[in-house]
Amino acid sequence: MSYEIPMGPYHPGLEEPYKLNMICEGETVKDAKLHIGFNFRGIEHLAETRNYIQVIALMERVCGICSFIHTLTLCQAMEKLTGLTPPPRAQYIRVIMGELERLHSHVLWAGIAAKLMGFKTMFMTCFEIREKVMDVLQAISGNRVNYAMNRIGGVNRDIQDPLSILAMVEALENEMTRTIIPIFTTSKTATSRCAGIGVLTTERARSLGVVGPVARASGIGQDLRKEAPYAAYAEMDFSVPVVPDGDVRARLLVRALEIMESCKILRQALAKLPPGEIAPPGDSSKFSFVTGTATARVEAPRGEVMYSVSWKEGARMPSRVHVRTPTYVNMPAVRFMVQGARLADTPLIQAAVDPCYSCTDR
Amino acid sequence: MSILTALARLLIFPGILFAVPAAWFFLWVERKSVAMMQGRIGPPFMQPFFDFIKLLGKSTPQRTGVAGALMRAWPLIAVSTAAGAVGLLPVLPSSGGFQGDLILLLALLEVPSICIIAAGFTSRSIFGEIGSAREAVLSVSYNVVFLLAIISVAASQHTFRLEALAQAPATSLRWIGILAVLICLPAKLHLNPFSLPNAEQEIYSGPMVEFAGPELAMWELSHGLEWVAATGLVATLIAPQMAFWGLSALAFVALSFGIVLLLSALAAATARLAIDTTVRFYWQCTIIFAVLAVSSALLMRLRS
Repeated sequence: MSYEIPMGPYHPGLEEPYKLNMICEGETVKDAKLHIGFNFRGIEHLAETRNYIQVIALMERVCGICSFIHTLTLCQAMEKLTGLTPPPRAQYIRVIMGELERLHSHVLWAGIAAKLMGFKTMFMTCFEIREKVMDVLQAISGNRVNYAMNRIGGVNRDIQDPLSILAMVEALENEMTRTIIPIFTTSKTATSRCAGIGVLTTERARSLGVVGPVARASGIGQDLRKEAPYAAYAEMDFSVPVVPDGDVRARLLVRALEIMESCKILRQALAKLPPGEIAPPGDSSKFSFVTGTATARVEAPRGEVMYSVSWKEGARMPSRVHVRTPTYVNMPAVRFMVQGARLADTPLIQAAVDPCYSCTDR
Repeated sequence: MSILTALARLLIFPGILFAVPAAWFFLWVERKSVAMMQGRIGPPFMQPFFDFIKLLGKSTPQRTGVAGALMRAWPLIAVSTAAGAVGLLPVLPSSGGFQGDLILLLALLEVPSICIIAAGFTSRSIFGEIGSAREAVLSVSYNVVFLLAIISVAASQHTFRLEALAQAPATSLRWIGILAVLICLPAKLHLNPFSLPNAEQEIYSGPMVEFAGPELAMWELSHGLEWVAATGLVATLIAPQMAFWGLSALAFVALSFGIVLLLSALAAATARLAIDTTVRFYWQCTIIFAVLAVSSALLMRLRS
């Protein structure tokens, strides 16, 4: 006999509110329905009532984890409309902040995944390391969550002493190589919970158009940092991890390998940080926009983020800011991932997508 | 054994007066040791006691009818049977009279688990029912090993009297039995990697989801008492017999404490396994242990 079991909108296994109604037979999930929209804040409409300085601070509040990425994408779109190009040092600082945010997001995700497996010790370890990543972010920006680093045409704060940041990054890398990565790849209880569950085949992943680590764990090697480089990514030497298996273990492996690649990028960017200005000279509070719509795409920790910004010449406020977040694209895949899965694995399967409803619902 | 001594053992040590504070102490040791392994500070010494008192003071929704009465009854039955199991442990040497019976002890140890299963179904919550179903499957899986271990040890010593069993010389079969019981304890105490019946992230702690206030306090107490009884059973089988009763009691407490630390370390170092992996694990253990027990028993027969 089948029965329906609700997961959410408020559930200890979920970071944010959404609802997954699962049709089960015994401990096996037969089908699932996803409901979103519990976190709607009307940010896109609010953006139309804020000027070009205020809108950056507003869009930083779209997400608490990838706040830098949102302002970076917005600023890149606005830079297209103003015709400004950030100086090379600002581009490098954007890469450094973007990769630190990726580390922060992936370590946080590893902690949440560990908690969902009932592996609380690993959860604590991950969050301890996350604190250290946040310390580095604080050392650079002065803030731990909303960094206020981006501005149109550059960044707001310089990295005065790259060597000290490099030492912090190396310490972090050592700690992650010693703890998170071996435990997630070798612990028998952890891998037994991940291997072969929540499988998303390459064909299904392609047809659903999933992005980010979810796509890369299903054998689709897409990464905007390589395919459409922005900031200073074209000057960085790194590889894009791709695992073809499509299960939760593959998603875990992709993120673990991405942590190592992020550290590699950080070392390069900090070592090669070019001298010069961090923003174009002139009045930083006056910008002139041309009429039109500009889009920008950035590889966020969860996948591709796209901003579409429309402006009218002479206006101080955007006429439209539209955001497409990776979770919105990835979540329909959860329905297919949980079909045939054990009920016990469903929190982990949905978490393996690394959903962010703060971004999705806005 | 005089009636007074028997009463003192059942009501004072290792009975109720010892068992209840020991339950809170063991709960604290488990929480504190896991916290320390995780780099946290952990709860203060009196926290399990404070939790208990605080829960006792909470009001619970009025439930009427048979389901309401049962929901009040299950935790009380679980507490009384777990406390009875602790009272039966032959920590102190006696000379005749009631010496504790192994079969009664095993039955009393099993009742809290049955109460949990019944409580989950009585609550009529879908999460409680799933948790109860998991507890039932888990119980069937580990109990085969658990009972086989205890009974084969008892049968090899030709006694089902706990005290006689505790005083009997240690054999290889006895050590295999103790090992098998130790393997079953995480499942019996709902610890990682076998904590699936009360998984918070999947089923909101399963059978306990609808319980609050004094009823939940009783469940917590019963869980603590299960800790004392289950670790005490292993400690009784391991503890060396001492002439002075104080030393026996001390050895019992120290060994129980050591087992709590061991189980906490295991819980801290592992993730929660899924139901099919757990069942497979225990049935594999059953086969291994059955082969070992039968061959050891045959060897002992041949030698004697």
